[in-house]
Amino acid sequence: MDPKDDIFYILQVLEGKINAFSYLVDKHKDKAFNLAFRICGNREEAEEIAQDAFLKAYRSLKDFRRKSSFATWLYRIVYNTAISLVRTRKNIILSVDEFPADAVDFLNFSSSEEEAADDYRNSLINFALQKISEEERGLITLFYYNELDTEEISKITGISRSNIKVRLFRARQKMGEIIRKVEMKTVFYHE
Amino acid sequence: MNKHEINDEDLLRKFLNPEKIEKAPEGFTSKTITRIQIETQSAKFNQSFLVKNRVPVISAAITAGLIIAAIIIPAGETESVGSTVWKYLQGLEFTLPVINNTYFREFILPGWVPYAMVGILLLGFFDRALFGLFHKGKNP
Repeated sequence: MDPKDDIFYILQVLEGKINAFSYLVDKHKDKAFNLAFRICGNREEAEEIAQDAFLKAYRSLKDFRRKSSFATWLYRIVYNTAISLVRTRKNIILSVDEFPADAVDFLNFSSSEEEAADDYRNSLINFALQKISEEERGLITLFYYNELDTEEISKITGISRSNIKVRLFRARQKMGEIIRKVEMKTVFYHE
Repeated sequence: MNKHEINDEDLLRKFLNPEKIEKAPEGFTSKTITRIQIETQSAKFNQSFLVKNRVPVISAAITAGLIIAAIIIPAGETESVGSTVWKYLQGLEFTLPVINNTYFREFILPGWVPYAMVGILLLGFFDRALFGLFHKGKNP
């Protein structure tokens, strides 16, 4: 068995070697954290969610049936944990006016122009993500950041493939509208 | 895909860079592993008395059973254990009530069937109780 394979480390963990789990955490932490962050929009909460998800995965590792990859199984735990947390807290609805028009100026403190533009785009995406529902945020992240197909997303979210397509379409529409509005506002500010 | 959808897709692709994911903070792996180690230890510590000491508990139950059997079965009896226990049970004057199954005349079930069903039900409960006891610590 390839030592780089997740299954190799899973079997080691099941034999009682807890440190083998650190390989799995190290390999999947960034995408798990990113999914949690995009859904909840807060780094501290995202860290807590990702840690909780790894803990749940460790506890239930013996129930992992290998019908899907370890990553898919882990993302499912992260997705469900993040969605549950977001639903329990009161959502703050942001208006388009709350995105700072001078964000580009602030972000120009970054080391290069390209980096500043990247930071601006990232902030705008985060802002637009916070304007759509937590489920849509999860779908957008899994589709665009984790680059998964609708079948994998269906396994993670438990939503049918056709429904995923519809929701992605709606989420894209909403986000596109927000981005256009903010972009127009930014252009007016700089003129 | 209509024109507007293509525009939304392009716009999102322009702003959303899959390589620009939010990375987990420094020390995330070590913090997570430490948390797992701590919580695993505390989970073991918090197991119930019965689960933690199931071997002495089971052996104590067997010992108690044997002591009770010794009290019930008098010493020096030449009869088999089974017949002595049967005699003891008969002495308890425990009788099973007759179930009047007049509503089910067409089926003519043997008299032991209702008792067998109750027995299966009780065994089912017993099985669930034992499963819960022995799997409590393993599957939180």
